[in-house]
Amino acid sequence: MKTGIFNQNRIKEVARETADWEENSYSCQQRLKDKYETLSGFKVKPLYTPDDVAGLDYLRDLGYPGKGPFIRGVHPTMYRGRTWTHRQLAGFGPPEETNKRYKFLLQQGATGINGVFDYPTLRGYSSDDPDVYADVGRGGVAIDTIGDMRTLFDDIPIDKVSVSLVTCQPICNISVQSMYFANALDRGIPLANLAGTSQNDFLMETATTIAPGVLPPRASFKISCDAIEFCTKYAPQWNPISFAGYNYREAGCTAPQEIAFVIAHALACAEDMLARGLKIDNFSKRLSFFLSAHNDFFEEIAKYRAARRVYYHVMKKRYHPQDPRSLMFRFHVQTAGVALTAQQPLNNIARSAYHALAAVLGGAQSVHVDAYDEALCTPTELSSVTALRTQQILRNETGVTNTIDPLGGSYYLESLTNSMEAEVLRILDDIDRIGGLVKAVEKGWIHGEIAAAAYKYQLDVESGAMPIVGVNCYQIEDEVLPIELFSSPETVKVQTRKLKKIKKTRNAGAVAKSLDAIAGCCERNKNLMKLMVGEVKNFLTEGEISRTLKRVYGVWEPPLF
Amino acid sequence: MKKQRIRILMVRLGMDAHWRGSIVVARALRDAGMEVIYGGNQMPANIVKMALQEDVDIIGLSSLSGNHLMLAPEVVKLLKKEKAQDIKVIFGGTVPPDDVPILKKAGIAAVFGPGSSLQKIIASVEALKRNY
Repeated sequence: MKTGIFNQNRIKEVARETADWEENSYSCQQRLKDKYETLSGFKVKPLYTPDDVAGLDYLRDLGYPGKGPFIRGVHPTMYRGRTWTHRQLAGFGPPEETNKRYKFLLQQGATGINGVFDYPTLRGYSSDDPDVYADVGRGGVAIDTIGDMRTLFDDIPIDKVSVSLVTCQPICNISVQSMYFANALDRGIPLANLAGTSQNDFLMETATTIAPGVLPPRASFKISCDAIEFCTKYAPQWNPISFAGYNYREAGCTAPQEIAFVIAHALACAEDMLARGLKIDNFSKRLSFFLSAHNDFFEEIAKYRAARRVYYHVMKKRYHPQDPRSLMFRFHVQTAGVALTAQQPLNNIARSAYHALAAVLGGAQSVHVDAYDEALCTPTELSSVTALRTQQILRNETGVTNTIDPLGGSYYLESLTNSMEAEVLRILDDIDRIGGLVKAVEKGWIHGEIAAAAYKYQLDVESGAMPIVGVNCYQIEDEVLPIELFSSPETVKVQTRKLKKIKKTRNAGAVAKSLDAIAGCCERNKNLMKLMVGEVKNFLTEGEISRTLKRVYGVWEPPLF
Repeated sequence: MKKQRIRILMVRLGMDAHWRGSIVVARALRDAGMEVIYGGNQMPANIVKMALQEDVDIIGLSSLSGNHLMLAPEVVKLLKKEKAQDIKVIFGGTVPPDDVPILKKAGIAAVFGPGSSLQKIIASVEALKRNY
């Protein structure tokens, strides 16, 4: 039985009246712009009516929260049953400093931990490696050995609070997550009790943030899948991968590309897990997503809703899972950093609030709001708290969580959601034709798509087609910054001192044996995380582990320019 | 007299691998008629080596991590050591306003913070080449 919501005869009348209004009322008045488009280039009409969604069938296309196609929300109660996690990022300097910031945020009402790592750690280096000294402690916390992991989570109830490890790249994740798990076991916490997420995204290593001499895409992808397999078997509450659409978007791709790339990534992982002998319902429910909340308010909401519906249909068609959780597109949102400005930084509080509102109206499970100093420095205590308060005000004061998917049924939103869905499916087809996401990276196709979109974005800013308040309009000459900037604490000396001591006192023979075992595991194509969780107790450094991996897998020069 | 094309080496300074700004600038410079060599992430010693090997006019450094005071002046110093101070160095990235004069004093010819216009960068590079 069809449950189309519109009487098709009346729709014809609406179409006629709309055309009449457009010709005789709307067109006669002056318009401010020649072109009306969303940020990602979808054309926007002056008005949307039932005619724009004439074919909408409520039960088929929208349905209910917690039931396929999940477009109205992945859980039946959504924010009436459970608020989205307030998961503010924190990370800088040595682990003892970040430990304090984690505790501070938890005290101020954050409901999850979101840990970022410094640039050397993200790229698989140790603080005492040559060439990294200028970046130790920058962009996140420095983690070199299991000792640092112990310090980082000292006196934090990791068996009670959900912890996100923003490891970005598999080469980082394989070490850092192994250290996290090993530390939990040392504390007497079974892995099965740990709730959290790792980013572990091979596109971060080989496409969206890349440098010369990285692991080849296939190797990076393989070790990311090792983590998924390991967690499926031993840490079933852990989301072993968080497809980092946010970062693809920050690198420059469009909204439909953001969704298509993360779904293509999920499909690649699913294929790999099935090839390893797992069943779809073993692992699929723990595949999780990480998206941006960018400027175009309605486009972002349409994006989230389209993502849920596309994922549901694509996964159902390809894999026929029995467990409905295998079809749920669960996601964390970070408000778009690239949209924030160094000019007049307090304006960013308004921007991030709009972004956060879109995320919540789009049904996100977890949110990080960027701090107002995002374009200038690592967040200070004041800017982190302000960002957290943005979430708390949104939740407690605006009333938007009183009902589920409040914008569902909006003619504009449903029309835009349909357009977004069509474009996402088109891009997924492109990737399929190339041979899947790993091939698309190896060939440089992903890099080209993202770079082209980034370049177009900048040309729009240059021409003024994309206004940015404070940057290309409403500028303040000779602006005096009204905020204090964060100052990175001394890290490289602290960490290298620790490492000197560790290298003197640890069992060198055990370390050599561990590194040999790691090399052998890679050569024999076995699960690397399973081995590493046991080996990191010997105080292997991340740098030592990464060098071993690069020796076995080789390195790759990314085709970026 | 035939106008020689400006040769510029674009590199990311240090560890951080976010490439959007540097690639967008590299493309813009190329579209403006310059020969652009993109070196990816490098440290000062290698940057200078590459600059000499490629015989460039300008080095464009990109950094978002806050490592600029530690590494950018080092590039200028090493160029001087190689008697190659005619190669100009410009910087783009996350630079707090207070650090701009420090970089300039250390010999960085131009500094472009977040929100800088491509047109300004292109004009600056062209002016630097003209001035010697």
